[in-house]
Amino acid sequence: MLVFVVRVRPDTSTSTSDDHEWLRMKDFEYLEPTTVAEACALLRQYKGEARPYAGGAYLSIVMKQGLFQPKALVNIKKIGALKGIRFDPSEGLVIGALATHRELETSKLAKEKFPILSEVEREVANIRVRNVGTIGGNLASGEPLTDLAQVFIALDARVGIAGPSVTRVLAVEKLFLDFYQTALAEDEILTHVVVPPLPARSGIEYIRFSSSSVVDKPCVGVCARISLGADKKSCATVRIALGCVGPTPIRARKAEEILAGKTFSPQAAAQAGAAAAEESSPTSDLRGSEKFKRGIVRVLVRRAAEKAYERAVHASTSSA
Amino acid sequence: MKKQIHLRVNGMERALEVAPRTTLLDAVRDQLGLTAAKLGCDIQVCGACTLLVNGKPVSACSYLAVDADGSEVLTTEGLGANGELHPLQEAFMDLGALQCGYCTSGFLLTAKALLDENPRPSDVEIRDYLGGNFCRCGCYQEIMQAIKSVAGG
Amino acid sequence: MSGIKQMEPADIGKTFRRLDYETKVTGRAQYLADMSVAGMCHGKILRSPYPHARIVRIDASKALKIPGVVATLTRDDILNHPAIDPYYGPVFKDQTIVAVEKVRHVGDPVAAVAALDLDAAEEALRSIEVDYEELPAVLNVGDALKPGAALVHDSVKVPESGFADLAELKPVEGTNVCTHFRLNRGDVQKGFAESDRIFEDTFTLPAAQHSFLETHACIASVEPGRRITVWATTQNPFVVRTQLANIFKVPVSKVRVVVPYLGGGYGGKVYPKIEPITVALALKAGRPVRLVLTREEVFYTITKHAAVIRMKTGVKNDGTLVARECEIHLDTGAYAEIGPRVAKKSGYTAAGPYKIPNLKIDSYSVYTNKPPAGAFRGFGVSQSAWAVESQMDIVAAALKLDPLALRKQNGYDEGDKFVTEETLRAVGLKKCLDEVAQSIEWGKREEITGANVRRGKGLACMIKATITPSISSAVVKLNEDASLSIYTGTVEMGQGSETVLAQIAGKELGIPIETIQVLGVDTDVVPYDLTTSSSRSTFHMGKAVQLAAQDIKNQLKQIVVRDFGIPAEQIEVAGGKIRLPESVIEYKDAMSKRFGMQGGTLVGEGQVKTSTKNEFGEKSTSAFWFLAAGAAEVEVDVETGKLRLVKYATAVDVGKAINPLGCRQQLAGAAITGIGQALFEEIAYDNGQLINPNFIDYVIPSLGDMPPVIDPISVEVPDPSGPFGAKGIGESALIPVAPAIANAVFDAVGVRIKDLPIKAEKIFLALRDKDESGR
Repeated sequence: MLVFVVRVRPDTSTSTSDDHEWLRMKDFEYLEPTTVAEACALLRQYKGEARPYAGGAYLSIVMKQGLFQPKALVNIKKIGALKGIRFDPSEGLVIGALATHRELETSKLAKEKFPILSEVEREVANIRVRNVGTIGGNLASGEPLTDLAQVFIALDARVGIAGPSVTRVLAVEKLFLDFYQTALAEDEILTHVVVPPLPARSGIEYIRFSSSSVVDKPCVGVCARISLGADKKSCATVRIALGCVGPTPIRARKAEEILAGKTFSPQAAAQAGAAAAEESSPTSDLRGSEKFKRGIVRVLVRRAAEKAYERAVHASTSSA
Repeated sequence: MKKQIHLRVNGMERALEVAPRTTLLDAVRDQLGLTAAKLGCDIQVCGACTLLVNGKPVSACSYLAVDADGSEVLTTEGLGANGELHPLQEAFMDLGALQCGYCTSGFLLTAKALLDENPRPSDVEIRDYLGGNFCRCGCYQEIMQAIKSVAGG
Repeated sequence: MSGIKQMEPADIGKTFRRLDYETKVTGRAQYLADMSVAGMCHGKILRSPYPHARIVRIDASKALKIPGVVATLTRDDILNHPAIDPYYGPVFKDQTIVAVEKVRHVGDPVAAVAALDLDAAEEALRSIEVDYEELPAVLNVGDALKPGAALVHDSVKVPESGFADLAELKPVEGTNVCTHFRLNRGDVQKGFAESDRIFEDTFTLPAAQHSFLETHACIASVEPGRRITVWATTQNPFVVRTQLANIFKVPVSKVRVVVPYLGGGYGGKVYPKIEPITVALALKAGRPVRLVLTREEVFYTITKHAAVIRMKTGVKNDGTLVARECEIHLDTGAYAEIGPRVAKKSGYTAAGPYKIPNLKIDSYSVYTNKPPAGAFRGFGVSQSAWAVESQMDIVAAALKLDPLALRKQNGYDEGDKFVTEETLRAVGLKKCLDEVAQSIEWGKREEITGANVRRGKGLACMIKATITPSISSAVVKLNEDASLSIYTGTVEMGQGSETVLAQIAGKELGIPIETIQVLGVDTDVVPYDLTTSSSRSTFHMGKAVQLAAQDIKNQLKQIVVRDFGIPAEQIEVAGGKIRLPESVIEYKDAMSKRFGMQGGTLVGEGQVKTSTKNEFGEKSTSAFWFLAAGAAEVEVDVETGKLRLVKYATAVDVGKAINPLGCRQQLAGAAITGIGQALFEEIAYDNGQLINPNFIDYVIPSLGDMPPVIDPISVEVPDPSGPFGAKGIGESALIPVAPAIANAVFDAVGVRIKDLPIKAEKIFLALRDKDESGR
């Protein structure tokens, strides 16, 4: 939810207050469509000067900071199609864009099918943000210091996107382009997230590392998922997703390759950690130096992979 | 561009005229004169501005009043009933769960929402639920004790 | 509401439900931002975007054309105004109401506006044109002290009279040295020559912010005849009154300062902050103005001093401390504020609570182009103690001594001489150390809980002084029904002063706490008090209230002598009644007899003025001494450096716990702030720009960061001068936290962190260095 802004010094010698005051939000039009099509049409009409509004957890901050002053907010909360969490045995868990963090945290379906999601949500921001902030808004903000995106990536999740004329589906991994930039066009709305059913014999682990308070944004977030082959020993599918160590969450593909198709070993996990550290591109900021973040990635990837493997083995034996 | 909204605040029907950018905190403080909720950080971190909207804690500093149209809002002024204080208010006083009092309204309302959802929370559940509220005077231990004393009763 | 349950006489040493609680838990308590005044308009401040620049031109004329704008304020309004002295400051007059020639830090007030609503005020700010000529800036003490460094102040106005304890401290002309405090004792070179081992270390800590949830706010009104009223979020209304009287050239009787409940202070609300600019705006506007700072603006208003401390200590092999040379550089920012006293207190405590015969201490406050640093709970001692207490463990490790034993071997006892050669009394240092050691089971190795986790324990202690000399006065009124009203200038900012003062008066007079009302602060009504800070109110104002209550008892006795004809020696006022050999008289009956009807008031007065001489006839720097210790148990993840605080114990010599629950609150609360500063609080700058002026990026401890156990322990070594033996306790528990945790980290994983905060990264990198050098 948070924007860390390095203040830019004014480039002219005549200066006004804008650079240094948190002023109140500027006024805007407040529109309340009841269908996705209507919402997209409104967004198109405003040509980039409107934004979908749901919980406002992220938007209110950038608007107060004056980083974004929309002409209109398009409240999508009255669009029933974007609500709810359901499970479809073939499709998987379908999370409506309007589902709040808290809904996902407490969803019985999510706890049963993907308990990792509930565990991750418990640590997101605070109860108030979890009550209003939505899954759709979290992903659509493109905020780099977040948790959910890397978990979705490790789960091979996809997002549904609706525009004025077409709808499309995109892997979560492909959603993020740069700091606060996503593949969503100005007139598109993220409608839902689909988390496909995991293969049998899968284990997943997410480690959120805060460099200070428990409620601080993560310094590094690492997710590892291992799905074992039929032999219950080799790692058939491996996903390692890293967050907060680059402009967007990424998959650590070299690290994945080290483990994929082979029998798991602690040595391989350590090698995967080292590879992931190489692949990441962290920058030094308030939450840690580049060197430190790489070092943490190395340790956390190893630990997450070990835990994911342990869970995969457990899933194999208990389901057998 | 003002809009009329209807809220049920502490059990009373209220109709307000608000601009879209008016926050629920400003509406409740400036228009209804209910000042128990305070502006602290202005960015949803500290919890001093917490109000319950349909029973759930939100940061009123960043919650659009228009978005609350049709909602039930509870402020600390409406916490007691029939001239009696809420048991959490009594427990906060008995166990010393406040010093300067600026964060208190937010803690009380958040604790109430917790106990409504989960009448007997564990220590871990209390921490998860209230973990993001700030008390710079540092009454956290006493706040935990006060909530536990009500939950246990 | 809850109603009066039982009317028992007030007592001390007993927990009473605090008098400020019911109004606070019901949300009825009015803090400043909840208040408004008829005709009030809204103020906003235009602030500098540059750390250091000359103001070439400033033009606010467009602002007045904006509908709703009532007044603007720039340097043109305060310079050459016959009734305004634009220069002020608690020690030196180096601050101005708005910037005059140049801006000295990012966020320095440049202009201000008042308007009917905040929208108009904000638009007005944007319409003000300022041309700046950027100047080279000094952004840390190292650069500020280099020869040829840019000067933050070309010269500094020193007022003719000021604080008695700071008279000798002056700016060093032509440099950025704001003040230089020196302390010399014995012969430090000889001391080093006699030492077996010499330890030399440099310790650093960053600027921090008080982070009270209530930002600074002020409502000011200037009525015809220059009668000034301000409602202020201040810890020292009488100092604000004096400063406003000087700035606006009126007698103090024309200035009224009213203080509602504060939403936290912690030192960040002492001395004038936004009151001068709000009054100037109100004067210009001709109507009341309310100014409420944003969170970001608070970061530009006041900070805690960053410091660099070089400490060289000579020690005998048996652990005896022999000599210390110490240089402390405190970054005081763009204005002196109370930095000179912070430097002095840091210097005085650079020997810690230890007997060191040979000392050479130099403590500097240094101007830089950063937001001003001032008082912060711990006041200079949390800086010096970080160095002192970390180095004690470095010494202990090198000499293979137990850190607890080393502290007790060198620590102060009753009757020892402080570094100023004055005799210490009521010294509970070693009791505090023993208590915290026992609480964390010092000496007992804990089981290792995981493959990568190591546990460790550490402790630290401290000594601190209170501002001396100082004045507190109290008035109490016994009403016709024997209820009592207490008038003091002590500000209730969360510390529970109302309740403690009522307990003291109630105990003295033997009346129930329910019959006592402690009034809010209004300088028109209450007698003078220097300040609600320096952990001084219970000791000073508590004593003043006790004396005022005794004055009432004497008056009651006189009434009985005069109106009942009983000899004075047969009268005793005790237990809430006037006791004669064979009967008792109720207070209200004596009142009724005296006044001839149900009416009248007895007014009691109490004054405490502490002296620069103590009872031994020595020069005294503190009316009483604070002693405290803290102990931490930590877990460190050796692969990530992540630290988990398992337990924190804090023991403070409170003298006498008047309200035991109130004491525990102060101890645990100060410890939690200390934990934040030890583990993650840090104001970050980039080229003079403050880059984390918000609670997302400036992280303070939340409920979720609390260790599983905090054990607040009140040790009682009564001070004979305090009310019922009580001392002050507001700051003590904060000070040992950071070194106790650093010492525990060393115990756990063998790395020594010398730079606060103790973030995982520092432990991680230190462990990596250690591994590499070990290979």
